[in-house]
Amino acid sequence: MKKMFWVLLCLVLVTGWSFAPRIHSAPVEEIKIAGQFGLVYAPLMVAQSRKIFEKYGLKPVWKEYGSGGAVREALISGEVDVGFMGIPPFLIGWDKGCQWKAAMGFVVVPVGLVTYDPNIKSLKDFKAGDKIAVPSPGSVQHILLAMAAEKELGSATALDNNIVAMPHPDAAAALISKKGIKAHFTTPPYLFEELSQPGFHLVVDDITIFGHPFSFNVGVASERFHDRRPVVYSSFVNAISEAMAWINANKKAVANLLAPEFKLTPEKTMAYLTWEGMNYTTAPYGLMGFAEFMQKAGYIKKAPQQMEEIAFENVLAFVGSRAGGRSEIEKIQYK
Amino acid sequence: MKVTKLKKKSMNKTLNQGLFIVGVMILWELVARAQWFPVLLFPSLSSVFVNLLTELVNGEIGGRLLFSLYLIGAGLGLAVVTAAVTATSALISPIISDWVQALMAVLHPLPGIAVLPIIILWLGTGPQSIIAVIWFSSIWPLITNLHTGLRSVPATQMEAGRNLGLKGIALIRFILLPGAFPYILTGLRVAWARAWQASVAAEMVFGASGGEGGLGWFIYKKRFFMEIPSVFGGMIVIILVGLLVERLCFEWVEVRTIRRWGMTSE
Repeated sequence: MKKMFWVLLCLVLVTGWSFAPRIHSAPVEEIKIAGQFGLVYAPLMVAQSRKIFEKYGLKPVWKEYGSGGAVREALISGEVDVGFMGIPPFLIGWDKGCQWKAAMGFVVVPVGLVTYDPNIKSLKDFKAGDKIAVPSPGSVQHILLAMAAEKELGSATALDNNIVAMPHPDAAAALISKKGIKAHFTTPPYLFEELSQPGFHLVVDDITIFGHPFSFNVGVASERFHDRRPVVYSSFVNAISEAMAWINANKKAVANLLAPEFKLTPEKTMAYLTWEGMNYTTAPYGLMGFAEFMQKAGYIKKAPQQMEEIAFENVLAFVGSRAGGRSEIEKIQYK
Repeated sequence: MKVTKLKKKSMNKTLNQGLFIVGVMILWELVARAQWFPVLLFPSLSSVFVNLLTELVNGEIGGRLLFSLYLIGAGLGLAVVTAAVTATSALISPIISDWVQALMAVLHPLPGIAVLPIIILWLGTGPQSIIAVIWFSSIWPLITNLHTGLRSVPATQMEAGRNLGLKGIALIRFILLPGAFPYILTGLRVAWARAWQASVAAEMVFGASGGEGGLGWFIYKKRFFMEIPSVFGGMIVIILVGLLVERLCFEWVEVRTIRRWGMTSE
């Protein structure tokens, strides 16, 4: 009897030990992600440190790039499977024939044009020599400036001769030292840093220009990747969703986790994470609105007629298609 | 006899080079048409030229080119003046010569683009910063060549000039400058190439000059709008201008000066 017990115990242990790993790990699939750094990319940083991708059977391979343009080129050449970029750069690629679609919205953040000059209260007050820094031509910030210029000055290109392309950190340093540039079209955390300087103020902000919030970035995947590796694709979407939800439920923990990475105090990181307008969400906002404006202003040649042309089925299912007129969530895709 | 042979040799060389370039262009077109690489990243040469033509017609590329030439003219002009003053003072005073040599040793290896962040901090963004980078990039080859060139004129030639009764400006005009001319021309050629590199790089790294930008800004902007044929178009314009200046300016001067004086081996 006693012998029987030991044999049984051994059997249980051995089978348990050999089955246990198999239950938790499906075959590991590698996914190459264009990783970026910063407040907007907090979901990626959280997913990485909490090993969320691993939970879904993915082995993330991170690749770093210096600019949005480089991320786009990496996606086209197949160096990465998925990447994140603003809606305008995504649409420029789509217009030029890139076989890709939006896999998710990626974070809504406040965007605004900041100046230190008390005389500049609206776009009309910019003189010919006043430089406005944007990250690059064709970026969200550039297109927003063009939208605002069309609304206030009558022409989308009215301020194109005022723009300088500068990376956010350089432009923020230049603006704060009041050297070289008059204004900076920027995003958090640079937006918050600049606005906390005495006398610095917003000339115009995203909501005034666009009418409502919009996805600052979209997750982009090639159709080839989506079609050939559907399981990896959906695991990726789920992993990012989990990271987003975790951020919303655990802001304090996120602040503590990310503060050393940002070289900020946890309190300041918390203040930035919870700044009015920050929204960690995978819901898409404003996809079609950008497309329609960019086509009208000549930045792209064709605009999508249907969401199907620029978004994958998980995004389409999320937005839905209400019979008898657009639903609320359909409406926010437009300007 | 000898002259015709030489002419034939140079004709052959030109033909050979022409054939090579045409061959490379055909290869490019074939590779692009085979679509081994994404068309977006590797456009066909024909589409590049069609695009270049439309850019030329709508005038943007012409305006950008003029602006680049203005920046380079200003930066290079300033560099020539500074280099001439520095090299002359080095010739007169041995102490200054030592200083100039020390400066050259320290600063010549430094790429102009590496000082751009500092220049932007000091001068802000805009044309003045680009001109400063061009000036910094082109001044060192100029000074090096001027300094060496002026020193390389043999003392016997100077003495011969003095014996012929030449003094002051005349001595410099008829003995010193012609003697140093091969170096001066080399310096100008290197400086011209460096000036182009600096202007394009500065505009592309920082997009520093914005709306009032030259060809560097043109290429930079087209890259972000994914108009890759236009990116190549901008490069082709730079190549054409380089060839044109080499053939029309530098060779023209070379034929009328150092070649006529018998100072080259060719």
